[in-house]
Amino acid sequence: MRTSTMRTSSRKTSTRTLVSATLLIGALLVAACGNDTGGTAEGGRQIVTVYTGRHYGIEAVFDEFTAATGIEVRFATGKDPELRERLVAEGANTPADLLMTADAANAELAAAAGVLAPVASEKLDTAIPAELRSPDGTWFALSRRARVIISSTERVDSPPTTYAAVGDPTWKGRLCLRPSTHPYTQSLVASIIASEGETVAEAVVSSWVDNDPLYIDSDTDIYKAIAAGECDVAIANSYYLGRLQTEDPAFPVIITWPDQEGRGAHVNVSTAGITANAPNPTGALRLLEWLATDGQKTFSDANFEYPADPSVEPSAIVTAWGPFKGDVAAVIRLGEFQPAAVALLSRVGYE
Amino acid sequence: MTVAWRARRGPGWVLLVVVSVVMAAPVAVILWSITDPSAEVWRELWRTRLPGMIVDTVALVALVVTGTVIVGTGLAWLVTAHEFRGRRLLSWLLMTPIAIPGYVLGFVWLDTLQGPLGARAVRSIWLCAAVLVASLYPYVYVFAWSAFREHSPRTVDVARTLGRSSLTAWWRVVVPMARPSIAAGAALVAMEVLTDVGTVRLFNVSTVADGVLRVWFGTGDRDAAAELAVLLVAAAVTLIAVERALRGRAQYTQAGPRSTMLGNPVTGLRAAAVNVVGWGVLCLAVVVPGVRLVSWALQAQRLGQTQTIAGDLGFHVVSSLKVAGSATIACLVIGMTMVFVARERGRWGAALARIASLGYAVPGPVVAIGVIVTLAALDRRGWWPGDVLLVGSFAGLVYAMVVRFLAIAHQGIGASVGKVSPSAVASARTLGAGRLRVAMRVELPLARAGVIAAATLVAIDSLKELPVTLLLRPFGVEPLPVWVWQATSESLWVQASVPSLMIVAIGMPLVGLLLWSVERGAQVVS
Repeated sequence: MRTSTMRTSSRKTSTRTLVSATLLIGALLVAACGNDTGGTAEGGRQIVTVYTGRHYGIEAVFDEFTAATGIEVRFATGKDPELRERLVAEGANTPADLLMTADAANAELAAAAGVLAPVASEKLDTAIPAELRSPDGTWFALSRRARVIISSTERVDSPPTTYAAVGDPTWKGRLCLRPSTHPYTQSLVASIIASEGETVAEAVVSSWVDNDPLYIDSDTDIYKAIAAGECDVAIANSYYLGRLQTEDPAFPVIITWPDQEGRGAHVNVSTAGITANAPNPTGALRLLEWLATDGQKTFSDANFEYPADPSVEPSAIVTAWGPFKGDVAAVIRLGEFQPAAVALLSRVGYE
Repeated sequence: MTVAWRARRGPGWVLLVVVSVVMAAPVAVILWSITDPSAEVWRELWRTRLPGMIVDTVALVALVVTGTVIVGTGLAWLVTAHEFRGRRLLSWLLMTPIAIPGYVLGFVWLDTLQGPLGARAVRSIWLCAAVLVASLYPYVYVFAWSAFREHSPRTVDVARTLGRSSLTAWWRVVVPMARPSIAAGAALVAMEVLTDVGTVRLFNVSTVADGVLRVWFGTGDRDAAAELAVLLVAAAVTLIAVERALRGRAQYTQAGPRSTMLGNPVTGLRAAAVNVVGWGVLCLAVVVPGVRLVSWALQAQRLGQTQTIAGDLGFHVVSSLKVAGSATIACLVIGMTMVFVARERGRWGAALARIASLGYAVPGPVVAIGVIVTLAALDRRGWWPGDVLLVGSFAGLVYAMVVRFLAIAHQGIGASVGKVSPSAVASARTLGAGRLRVAMRVELPLARAGVIAAATLVAIDSLKELPVTLLLRPFGVEPLPVWVWQATSESLWVQASVPSLMIVAIGMPLVGLLLWSVERGAQVVS
């Protein structure tokens, strides 16, 4: 009898101790969250916070901006959709001032989710052509790139000149494509839907699938696969050739600009937009304007892309590929057709 | 009212429920959408990719589980049943692949075999399975190894006096007795394969976990993605049930005193064969990828491509250590609390503990976004003083890690504490010590090795963790996996080599600690 009371009481004490210990740890954890929230000025310095889905060479660009303006930039990286989810969840509490995406569809999806604020800026409107920014000013393209047809210089004499021609049976078993999980593939198909309608797009994509393509989830590896003789023809972004040609100027792959008689090569863009709940919207605007003007060259050259401002010269390697006609009209509609593109890719059995 | 009734309402229950709710919340908020299922999404998925995804997932899990059980158990047998020169060194080294992240092993092998085999042949479910076996077999190996070591040599001796050969003695006596451990290791492997989203994509294997991200990020339709994720959780729950069933109600007791099994000395050809197999596996899993990474690192040095994301190498290492260290401590504290509070509360207590471990059955990116949604909802309440925000805080990252890896800590600590002799506990209680005092002064010290083993497993896992780290890290914290990802997402393997090697280098002492604790009788499975 006595022992049983003792047991109950001691058990109570010990659980209570456990509970308080846990609460203490919880409190410590909350305390550890500390002062790392977004802010306009910390210790007199101005800080702009960027969420970026584009990673290549951005450090150098931000450093240059800081050197020019004295405003510091801190950034978080991630995939475009993840950063969008994060912004949606954070809502009014977000520390982010600027969202940078690696493709137009994701910028449009972010705008549709309400996490971007419209901006009216004469500087931006002058620098960036109207077809390369959203009509409501929620996002602005900073650089352009083309998704082109690439082929082996050694084994292909007359490469296909349209996206549709890539589905020609000549290329059966000789084709490399990027899987449908990647936004590059999704936006390419979205652009075909935007310009030529879903029926045409489905026929084109089906003909690619009929050619039994080798799916490689890396544009660099697609280029290397052509060089290695794994495939003869592929669709890939132009700038990877820039990287490969820097290492080996005789890299045996050549670019063909697709659909030059028609709508032009599929163009996608890197974008930036000011967040709807930016703690430091003025700093964000300064960064955005700087990227669209003084920063254009560094931003685009870092990745062998074309500056969004057509008056800014691309790098020498890129200029050497010659001029081309790009399907810029489709850029602001890529987001609208992306879900349809994903569904289409599933439907026709594209890996 | 009865004492039992009062106990049920006690603070222990409150604590248990609170911890379970806090740990399961991020998974629950994502899975919530299943309450309003969209038949349209399912019909579309079923018509298109879902059957293929299910086939790939089942095939991959089956291949990898079979592979890891054969390789892991086989190697454990090799180094416990035989005595040969270098046995001890080999038995330790065979554990080291656990320190190499699967996504690193994946891109190294992909690039290495692409040349000789061809880009098409390389991207296959077979090679994907092989890479996953190479990186996951240590889970089965360590469990089997610790189970074999535990066996009294007498069991084998008895079987041999009864006329069995050494091999049949092992096959018929020791392996069946180690079955629960092997099954637990296999379950862990299956869980890792189910939730993997890095390696599968490299090899064009389209699993359900990959499909969750494909649907979510492709169409922005979180509800549809969540419905797919429910499939994964269901699969994981089924797996655990199967594992329990395989284990059965079997309770084996050892004949005679516990002592370390001594292997048969082997010489000549047999010794050579044993060495070839053991070192061969090690070559494939560690040496070849290691050499490749080092050569890439040297190349990066030559090309001047060793630039870090922020600060210097030391900065990234410190970030990694801070994150992995804090996650480990938090997992241990919460895991211990769960073990001690849940075990006195019967079936319901066990069920709550299992709910708290749900995060282990869900892919990392899903956990990460679940954590953000949960924490952001709390942030909006404005309960915290000043401008404290949980999303993007260090505590938020640690919380997400605990959600993901609590299962490992809970399982390991539970198993080791469960092995503490009841008489030791009873004696301490009779002498008047309270439960907490007994736990702290008797049970934990006796289960010390197991707690250390659990801690090292959590530390190694959180050191390698990518999706959660990527999305939840605060500004100014840049752990090594983020750097690896930054380079590999652009296929810049050369630039990824330095941070990859650093992760492995930090993991190695942890592997040593893990083995040290297993040698001291740590129980890694219940």
